[in-house]
Amino acid sequence: MRKIILVFTIFFFIAGMVHSSETWAQMTAKPKLLRLTFYYPVGVAGPLARVIGEMTDKFNKENEGRIEVVPVYSGDYDPTMQKVQTAIMAGNPPDIFMVEISELPTLLTMNAVLPLDDYVKKLGKVYWEDFFAPFRENAVIGGKIYGIPFQRSTPVFYWNKEVFKTAGLDPEKPPQTWDELRDYGQKLTVRDPKTGDVKQWGVTISGGWNDWLFEAFVRQNGSWLISPDGLKANFNSKEAIEALEFWVELKHRLKVGPPHSTWGSTPPDFVGGRTAMLYHSTGILTFLKKSAKFDFGVAFMPKKKTYGAEVGGANLMIAKRISKERQDAAWKYMEWMSTSKNTAEWSAASGYVAVRHSSYDDPVMKDHVSKNPEYLVARDQLKYAYGKMMGKNFQKVREILKRQLDDAAAGKIAPAEAMQIAQKEIQGVIK
Amino acid sequence: MGLHLILMLVSIITVAPYLWILSTSLKYRTEVFTPTPKWIPWPINIQNYLEIFQMAPFHLYLINTVLVVTGILAVQLVTITLAAYVFARRNFWGKEFFFFLFLIQMMIPIHATFLPNFLTLKTFDLLNTRIAIMLPFFASGYGTFLLRQAFRQIPRVLEDAAVIDGCGGIRFLWHVLIPLAKPTLLAFSIISLVSHWNDYLWPLIVTDTPEVRTLTIGLGMFVQQESGADWTLLMAATAFVTAPVMIFFLVFQKKFVESFMLSGMKG
Amino acid sequence: MKRMFRLPVYSYLFPGLFFMAVFTFFPVFMSAYLSLFRWNISNPSPNFAWFSNYLEVFKAPLFWLVLKNNLIYAFTTIPISMSLALFLAILINQKMGSVRSFYRGSLFYPTMIPMVAAAMLWVWIFNPGLGIFNYYFGFLGFPKIEWLYDMRYALIAIIIMSIWKNFGYYMLIFLAGLQGIPKHYYEAASIEGAGPWNQFRYITFPMLAPATLFVFVVAIISSFQVFDQVFVMTQGGPGDRTNVLVFYIYQHAFRFWDLGMGSTLTTLFVMGLLIAIWLVFRVIGKRVYYEV
Repeated sequence: MRKIILVFTIFFFIAGMVHSSETWAQMTAKPKLLRLTFYYPVGVAGPLARVIGEMTDKFNKENEGRIEVVPVYSGDYDPTMQKVQTAIMAGNPPDIFMVEISELPTLLTMNAVLPLDDYVKKLGKVYWEDFFAPFRENAVIGGKIYGIPFQRSTPVFYWNKEVFKTAGLDPEKPPQTWDELRDYGQKLTVRDPKTGDVKQWGVTISGGWNDWLFEAFVRQNGSWLISPDGLKANFNSKEAIEALEFWVELKHRLKVGPPHSTWGSTPPDFVGGRTAMLYHSTGILTFLKKSAKFDFGVAFMPKKKTYGAEVGGANLMIAKRISKERQDAAWKYMEWMSTSKNTAEWSAASGYVAVRHSSYDDPVMKDHVSKNPEYLVARDQLKYAYGKMMGKNFQKVREILKRQLDDAAAGKIAPAEAMQIAQKEIQGVIK
Repeated sequence: MGLHLILMLVSIITVAPYLWILSTSLKYRTEVFTPTPKWIPWPINIQNYLEIFQMAPFHLYLINTVLVVTGILAVQLVTITLAAYVFARRNFWGKEFFFFLFLIQMMIPIHATFLPNFLTLKTFDLLNTRIAIMLPFFASGYGTFLLRQAFRQIPRVLEDAAVIDGCGGIRFLWHVLIPLAKPTLLAFSIISLVSHWNDYLWPLIVTDTPEVRTLTIGLGMFVQQESGADWTLLMAATAFVTAPVMIFFLVFQKKFVESFMLSGMKG
Repeated sequence: MKRMFRLPVYSYLFPGLFFMAVFTFFPVFMSAYLSLFRWNISNPSPNFAWFSNYLEVFKAPLFWLVLKNNLIYAFTTIPISMSLALFLAILINQKMGSVRSFYRGSLFYPTMIPMVAAAMLWVWIFNPGLGIFNYYFGFLGFPKIEWLYDMRYALIAIIIMSIWKNFGYYMLIFLAGLQGIPKHYYEAASIEGAGPWNQFRYITFPMLAPATLFVFVVAIISSFQVFDQVFVMTQGGPGDRTNVLVFYIYQHAFRFWDLGMGSTLTTLFVMGLLIAIWLVFRVIGKRVYYEV
């Protein structure tokens, strides 16, 4: 008999512990304290989660007793979006979240994002127009503001100065045009004389987010992929097909770049000397600086008709279906995080582009860029940057585009045909 | 002689990857970029193991994992023991049908039911809790089957005698059958603990926040990064996540091996 | 005589049955039901749509590619793991001292670690430039393959690591089966003049039939459950060449938020699984000496 009681006691003890941490948290919360959850995506390489934590602690101290923001590290962009959507569907959305900018139309369809115009208007033009224009583009749909730029980037071009020297190229002159890129790529690809295996790729156009990089190439060729309202697809334009043909030439015919890779594998490849030139986000700059044993440069992506880029990253957003009180508190946090000073601090610590013009006047930022002028490249490229393409069902759009890019790069399908398929399928999905 | 040669070779090939985890985890970040593999890390860097805790709350993940696997096992032991008893010892209407149900349950893995189960939990507002991770596993056709076999080995006369002495049903189960079936219960427990320690798909879907996250999910998040893989940290995290089970395995190898071998017996 | 309190039989079954009903059986019916609805981002409330989801599934070339990937995986991992496991079990079963536990432990331990941990490890091992696989593989004269980044080889990489991970468990089952074969059978056979191959063919193999069946069924079920390694190593790519059924379901349900399609695919999966198992037992099960 005693043993039965023991078994049940243990069972209930375990069950109790399971619930305990949830209820304990609620019990110890002081009355009137608004505890907000904030889901955010940050890469793990680099102490970015800690930076978010430290900045949030400062905010919480200033608002002690009234607001407490709890940052929840949610993985990379995809898992964060998944968690946000799951929470929204469960009727329990995080109060504040940062998801990849192209997910906005999908979130709007789920009626999950709060328009911020009222808050932004109160701060006047001085606030909103201080954000770089390309960054603002993905925060606005149908004339309404839904997000505040925070963790933003553009793709940039990295090159290994030492292997440039070895190949007889001027280490201070990166390729400026597509033609030069092709030329340098061929000069910089090193193969093992006996086996023919590639020991060093000339140029790696990173996979994983190759859809993002592809959009940049299309911009460089003077065209666009999805209209700003997210409803019209334009994948089978002459310029887009030319861009893909260029990729196929580099990756499949001339074989100066790997046809496939993952987003996380190519920075170590660059650091390990596996590739001489690299297309990747400005967000890895800090990682490269810490890990590379050689001198490298950062530049605009080479141009075709023009320099071109599109932006990337994530904006801060507020959930729609929370109480007005929580919305106001969430805004307070967002406003705080988006001051010139704090965006400067975030940028200096993370390597992401500081999102406001005035951030660059901040002394922390000034000091940072004087020591590390490479961080200014992405900002300067903003002159040629546009908003990132977005649309409903964006995850599906990405899958469709990436599939065609992958197949074309492997030589399995002609670029023109690939883009026709992409056009048909994507247009069907975003309407 | 050739026998040992082959076995040694295969053993080395199988064990080497794990040693590679340990080796990489003890290196400095820039040391991994050497073209020829360095098996012995020198200088040794134990910082990686400390750093992973700053990257993510692995201690919290460990606690959650322990709570979840023990919770699952606790309830499983109750459900399988009760069911196995009547399948082994009683006859009743529909016995074969119900037994068939338990057998079928073994064939329908969580990978086939995760979506509807997710929707069910969503309806009852149970998402993102440790209970959610445990619920689908509380019934175990497999455990019921194993235990039934074990109970059937125990001579009927014992029960008949016990009934005469006034000890039947639950009391008999508790005082006689369970102690005699200890080896099977232990075997099942080890299998259950290990397999649920290693669960991934289901916890991935039902948990969002670190408070309830388990080790495997925490590890999986490490590899999804925007800015480049830091292999020394990744391997340190991998070593940490696999350490508890590996340590128990090395210490209690015989019991572990017996348990898993038992799982296939007449099963 | 029977005056003590005896619980009705069905109450013993109730706890197990309850959880099974809610979390195993009900889901099967639920996904079959939901598979008849369009329920996704464009249709936030479920719309009854007869069998249009099924039509869409069968029309999508990607679905057939996913099935093909699963079948390639099954038809390679199952025979290779099983033969490897059987072969090593026979070797380990030979007379040797305490070194047996060393071999046994070394070959079995991969079963102890989570698949995601193994997957992380093998991403690192398969790294084209820095990984040890290409390094040592190169000594055998093979070219440096880009493994997880090459459409032609990514699935092979996943197959290799899965075999590494799973064969130890199958080996243990075979070992258990082998230990159940009375030694005097072999002695008698030797006396009769039967060589090792005939001993295997007429004694070992038939007596291992229950174990073989068990391993086979487990291997089939687990070959369709492939998820963790794909999720961690390739996310289904490159070009969907490693996209497998469970990952495909996950993509539809939790990336595209297409719950209708997710349910359709789930239902197809369950049906396929049950049919496969029924077939196995029908064809092979009857010939196995088995007590029920």
